[in-house]
Amino acid sequence: MMLWSLISWPYARKHLLRWMLTMAGIVLGVGVFVGMHTANRSVLSAFQETIDRIAGSTQLQVTAGEPGFDEDILEKVQNVPEVRAAAPVIEATVATGSGNLLILGVDMLGDRSLRNYDLEDTDASIDDPLVFLAQADSLLVTKTFAEKSGLRVNSRVPMRTMQGDLTFTVRGIMKPGGLASAFGGDLAIMDIYAAQKFLGRGRKFDRIDVALADGVSLDEGIAKLRAAVGSGYEIAPPSSRGEQFEQTSRIYSLASNITSVFALFIGMFIIYNTFAIAVTQRRSEIGILRALGATRSQIRALFLGESAVAGLIGSTVGVLFGIVLARAMAGYIGGMLTEVYGVAQRAGDVALDPLLIGGALAMGIATSVVAAVIPSRAAAAVDPVKALQKGRDQAVSERENRLRQWTATLCAVASAVTLAFNRTPLVFYAGFVLSVVAAVLLTPALTLWLARLLRPLLQWARPVEGTLAADSLIQGPKRTSGTVAALMLSLALVISLSGLARSSYEAISDWTRIALNPDLFVTTAQSVSARTFVFPASLGDGLRKIQGVGEVQSVRSVRVNVKGSPVMLLALDIASMEQHAKLPSVQGDPHEMYRLTAKGEGLMASENYMRLHGAKFGEVLDIPAPSGRLHLPIVGVVRDFSDQQGTLIISRAAYVRTWNDDSVNVFRIYVAPGAQEAAVRQRIIDTFGKTQRLFVLTNGDVRRFIRRLTDQWFGLTYVQIAVAVLIAVLGVVNALTVSITDRRRELGVLQAVGALRQQVRHTVWMEAIAIGVIGLVLGLSLGVVTLYYAVGMARRDFMGTEIGYSYPFDTALVLVPVILFAAFLAAIAPGEAAVKGSLVEALEYE
Amino acid sequence: MIHLRGISKRFEGKRTVTALERLDLDIARGEMVSIVGPSGSGKSTLLNLIGGLDRATEGEIELDGATLSRLSDDELTRVRRDKLGFIFQFFNLLPTLTCVENVALPLHLRGWPRAKIEARTKELLNLVQLGHRLDHQPDELSGGERQRVAIARALSVYPPILLADEPTGNLDTATGVEILKLIHDVHERLGATVLIVTHDANVAESCERTLRIRDGRIVEDIRRESARSSTEEPTRA
Repeated sequence: MMLWSLISWPYARKHLLRWMLTMAGIVLGVGVFVGMHTANRSVLSAFQETIDRIAGSTQLQVTAGEPGFDEDILEKVQNVPEVRAAAPVIEATVATGSGNLLILGVDMLGDRSLRNYDLEDTDASIDDPLVFLAQADSLLVTKTFAEKSGLRVNSRVPMRTMQGDLTFTVRGIMKPGGLASAFGGDLAIMDIYAAQKFLGRGRKFDRIDVALADGVSLDEGIAKLRAAVGSGYEIAPPSSRGEQFEQTSRIYSLASNITSVFALFIGMFIIYNTFAIAVTQRRSEIGILRALGATRSQIRALFLGESAVAGLIGSTVGVLFGIVLARAMAGYIGGMLTEVYGVAQRAGDVALDPLLIGGALAMGIATSVVAAVIPSRAAAAVDPVKALQKGRDQAVSERENRLRQWTATLCAVASAVTLAFNRTPLVFYAGFVLSVVAAVLLTPALTLWLARLLRPLLQWARPVEGTLAADSLIQGPKRTSGTVAALMLSLALVISLSGLARSSYEAISDWTRIALNPDLFVTTAQSVSARTFVFPASLGDGLRKIQGVGEVQSVRSVRVNVKGSPVMLLALDIASMEQHAKLPSVQGDPHEMYRLTAKGEGLMASENYMRLHGAKFGEVLDIPAPSGRLHLPIVGVVRDFSDQQGTLIISRAAYVRTWNDDSVNVFRIYVAPGAQEAAVRQRIIDTFGKTQRLFVLTNGDVRRFIRRLTDQWFGLTYVQIAVAVLIAVLGVVNALTVSITDRRRELGVLQAVGALRQQVRHTVWMEAIAIGVIGLVLGLSLGVVTLYYAVGMARRDFMGTEIGYSYPFDTALVLVPVILFAAFLAAIAPGEAAVKGSLVEALEYE
Repeated sequence: MIHLRGISKRFEGKRTVTALERLDLDIARGEMVSIVGPSGSGKSTLLNLIGGLDRATEGEIELDGATLSRLSDDELTRVRRDKLGFIFQFFNLLPTLTCVENVALPLHLRGWPRAKIEARTKELLNLVQLGHRLDHQPDELSGGERQRVAIARALSVYPPILLADEPTGNLDTATGVEILKLIHDVHERLGATVLIVTHDANVAESCERTLRIRDGRIVEDIRRESARSSTEEPTRA
């Protein structure tokens, strides 16, 4: 402690700016980790809260995936002696002028035994549920929503339903708290039969909420209910919906983990760099301490202690930054999950997890300490006699260099060998790590080599400034190589992410061209993926009669639980699909798979389903359905991007038969030859628009929608890119700040012999640009390798889809001016620092 | 050539330290002057002020017609570049540059053409007898050789004024004598005005004029008819 206050603190205070820059990597790494996880957690917690509040005293829920089930199941459930109360529910999120509104369709007769509707300003008649029932236009809203929308009891609320424009009447306003606080208070209750009409659900319920009789355990209740309704239903406590939701957001957690780890990894190099320089600069101080009796372990502990404190401060700031980030990200992730998965939640406030924060602090400190291990060992090994002699000790020793190069070569060879055996994830990831380690170990030698190559060029551009800039890099390998490594890794990350995005866009674009080639799409919402409302099958017949309509495909897409995971089930006319939108076959005979699927003797699985769920060609899938369990073999694997979790394609006939559901999400329309697309679209709107909630999207609209969804998904990628570049730029600022301190005397001499201030600035700027050039050469080259692994990772663990390797040359071209400009910006403050201050002191500086 | 009027230099800190106090001085063109005094007396500060490396708190310094206090930083740099040559105790050569590159540094900064720079640097390195060490780096040279390179660099534009701060302070006696001889040689051949700050009595006495400074004031101004011998009795001003 004494050493810390006498030695470390004064040094840190003197080099405050450098320490702040050093900690930036930790701040960003920890910040992104805490931010993304807290955002995910907040969204999950908001979802869970909505579930809890809606659940009331519900102990179990009977569900059959998104398609729901027939009304007669309710009677079977109610007849189970162990059930005290059972009430059907329809739950859907709809867009209103005041934002999204969660509609809960309930049977007021039975529902009050499960949920408490605490009303205020009530029309006395509503106290009688029969009156509520008798008036199908009744609506209960929360006080929050009423105030937001200016509603009172008896206010009229127009809504566009599947049966045309209807007007609902506010019959009661729920007091805040409990059920009324679900979904941030944006909740409305309507009669379940009105909800069926409103949403076009036919005679189906989404689920049945169950309260068990006193003394009946959950397990017993589940067993009795399963016996009553059959194995095609899922019976679980309300909280299990949170687990499913967690699964859907798993991919975002993975992506954020990768960003955090990379940010910390890059930050580690900046910390290593700073400590390596600090050890060099403080050699005489270390020598004095050693001469005065400090042991090697005390010196090592001193530096490790400094790094731990830096890590703690950086992590603490990072946690605070993460909380701010989480507030911004929660809405974004929540919105995306609502749009893609249709799960209702409203993340109002961030949910902090002490364990996560503790873990993040530990991670930040550990990163900092690990980064300082090698420099602190070097400090402990300082010879007191040599340390007290004047002179710099910057050069990397030949022995150290050779050892590094040998290790790098071994890592590179081992990485190349893993390519031949990378079928298992462990070998694959080991190969990735080895290739990065090889690149990092080679960085000092490559930096030196490139700096020497650059010297004549810089000398030619500016004889004095260019030469000094290049020489500074050549002579200060410890000062430069850490920063170059950080820049190299950041740029490699940018290339990987950008290449991945590019390949994905290309693959998605190919798929969109093949799979989404109809001219028009008749949907229930402006979003193609929205599944809140459904059309009756009969609308298809009406559409076919419209003049100019060639062919109509009825598509039903529902999320069902297969092997415990929510998967998208796509039911459509397979023969029509084969004719118009034959998806590229990945496995299986292209014709046979369509034939078997059309006959209902098999299903086609998307490539990402196969990879992400470890399914095998020919495997018989067990899909729960209200009519029992559907057992279908995988007869073909196709490339399909309909859903991130994977898609199963079955024939519409098989779906209708098994789920007893002939509703439709989207009608895909091929315009007859010679007919005008716009005219057909207008005819559809004119014919059905007034009596039916309906949207007619053009092919261009759908493509733009898909593009927007893809952009949203890659929005996280751009955050990752920004973090990577920011850390790299901070690394350059750090290196230059150290460089001008290191070269203070040199820069002083330069001014003493006649260099104008602008010429001194040019030296610093050119050094920054040289670091940028070297970082670019190494980063863009390493990107070739890391992109290969990124594509592999995406195939294996994220997208599950085969995407091509496509080096993003356009991004690389953009990066050149961006990084050089960023390097120049990074050099401005150090450049100014170089020309300020006393020339006399600079000349006397040791 | 060099005129100082009422020059004071104070360093502000927790307490103010006065390094020079109302100092007046005139040095004629071609004079060779040594400045002596105990450590902390202000002799290096005086040299730094004359060399435009630092600015006086009060007073005016006129250097070959230019009033330093009225110049901007860049104008001051141009005065240093065109009229002054510096020789430092620790040589202050750039360790990454060769002898030729170190000497060529001020010429490049002036934007001279490469051919002219090459001719001048070789001429200067021959003058300091290092024609055979052109492409060596400072760490490949002895202390004396490094100081020769520093002298060649100081002479690169044949400045009218040469300022030397302890030029022999970091050298052994024999090498110090050699360097001193070289400075005298340059002084005679180029007719430059030379100011040398030194602790070495031999160096001081070898100059035709010696200023003794104590507590920021000139306490003695000694002029010698012939300065070549340190055994001669000095003439007090």
